[in-house]
Amino acid sequence: MTDERHDADSLTGAYALNALSAEERAAVEAKLGESESLRHEVTELADTAVLLGRAVAPVTPPPALKASIMDQIASMPQLPPLETPAPESDATATVTEIAPRQSASSSSEPPTSPPVSAFTPAERKAQSRWFTKPAIAVASVAAVLGLVIGGGVLVNTLGESQQSNQAADQLAAINAASDHQQAVAEIEGGGTATLLWSGELASAAMIVDGLAALPDDKVYELWFIGEETGPRPAGTFTVDADGTSWRVLDGEMHAGDAVGVTVEPRGGSEAPTTDPIVAITSA
Amino acid sequence: MLKLVTRETDDQQEFAPVTQDQLLARVANGDQAAFAALYDQIAPRVLGLVRRLLRDHAQSEEVTQEIFLEIWQTATRYDSTKGGASTWIMTMAHRRAVDRVRASQASRDRDTKIGIRDYDAEYDNVSETVQTRVEHERVEKAMLRLTDLQRQAVSLAYYGGYSHSEVATLLSVPIGTVKTRLRDGMIRLRDELGVAS
Repeated sequence: MTDERHDADSLTGAYALNALSAEERAAVEAKLGESESLRHEVTELADTAVLLGRAVAPVTPPPALKASIMDQIASMPQLPPLETPAPESDATATVTEIAPRQSASSSSEPPTSPPVSAFTPAERKAQSRWFTKPAIAVASVAAVLGLVIGGGVLVNTLGESQQSNQAADQLAAINAASDHQQAVAEIEGGGTATLLWSGELASAAMIVDGLAALPDDKVYELWFIGEETGPRPAGTFTVDADGTSWRVLDGEMHAGDAVGVTVEPRGGSEAPTTDPIVAITSA
Repeated sequence: MLKLVTRETDDQQEFAPVTQDQLLARVANGDQAAFAALYDQIAPRVLGLVRRLLRDHAQSEEVTQEIFLEIWQTATRYDSTKGGASTWIMTMAHRRAVDRVRASQASRDRDTKIGIRDYDAEYDNVSETVQTRVEHERVEKAMLRLTDLQRQAVSLAYYGGYSHSEVATLLSVPIGTVKTRLRDGMIRLRDELGVAS
């Protein structure tokens, strides 16, 4: 193992955090094609960095921004798809195909002056994104509510009673599944429902926001709805004053299942007694 | 029971839920409506992250615009087998925000303690605040498992957009130490957050 290689190994964290100079970045990328273990580590750390990105509070953009963007793309051509991997590639085609190209182009530009408008070199830059080859696709945002760095204050925004760590871990597992999917639907009567699911894990979670609170003798009930099997009860939930709640659905999700929510008597029902207020298909 | 299923089917048109991956695939075919829908879903996260690094709202909007134009242009090269659409987009967003931080010294009147101090919670009402809280909490807990130096280094780099040499200066430690802490810290976070490929 050369010193150079050793150096690239030590830079994976900084690489994933975009904390390297263009020169160092190119050095790491040049090594990616040669080392399976390095590539693996870079991929995982880049995926971890994405989770840090999701820990930032979302900010709603002004309508004018969307209007401006939509106006521009209307007349903006899209890049042609990438060619199939070059013959020089080995089994890990994507990385090895791009790595030499990336390092070559990077080395020909001044290493210390990244472009002000990141846009012109979009093509090359975008290719470099593929190094991350994410194994996870985490849905959702996350917020920076009191992420105290160095202080050590833990703000439990949900309250221990509402959700166990186990449920949070299950939700995270769905988010982290390679076949993670999510869909959002409006709820009749107000609010939104977000369904997250993974076919691999046969598991799903529902997140609701802006849902009306129910009288004490009623609960919301979740259903897996199979085309042939009909609705299967998947657990009940209530909402807090904000109208928010989430839960991982009980039972296994089958391929093609839809997920619905009904209002049921407290304790839940074996079969729905009311029409669903929302239904989301996973197919 | 049948009614439930039927009803659900009828309502599909109305709800028409589609995933971000599906939207991005449509964008790759030049579908502007899909692009608009994708924008609606993920723009608040992108703007939130970019503004976190740049602090300046006008600049953050500019960079967000660049990111979405890049998404439009390069969606043709997105391959869903390599990871989710939102991961692709968030990774691109961070990179672009860092590019701007580095390129624009004017934006560097940012508080040098930016990554160390507490953050303002800027909560515009978006639809996934519950999940936001859950995920935030996990990251927060994972962060607490790091050593102080690891945590500070990772935060300065990711949330402050500082290079490792700048982080070394800010924390008054040798650059080799920063490299190690960034790697060790990220590995620890990876393990705490259960990221595996």
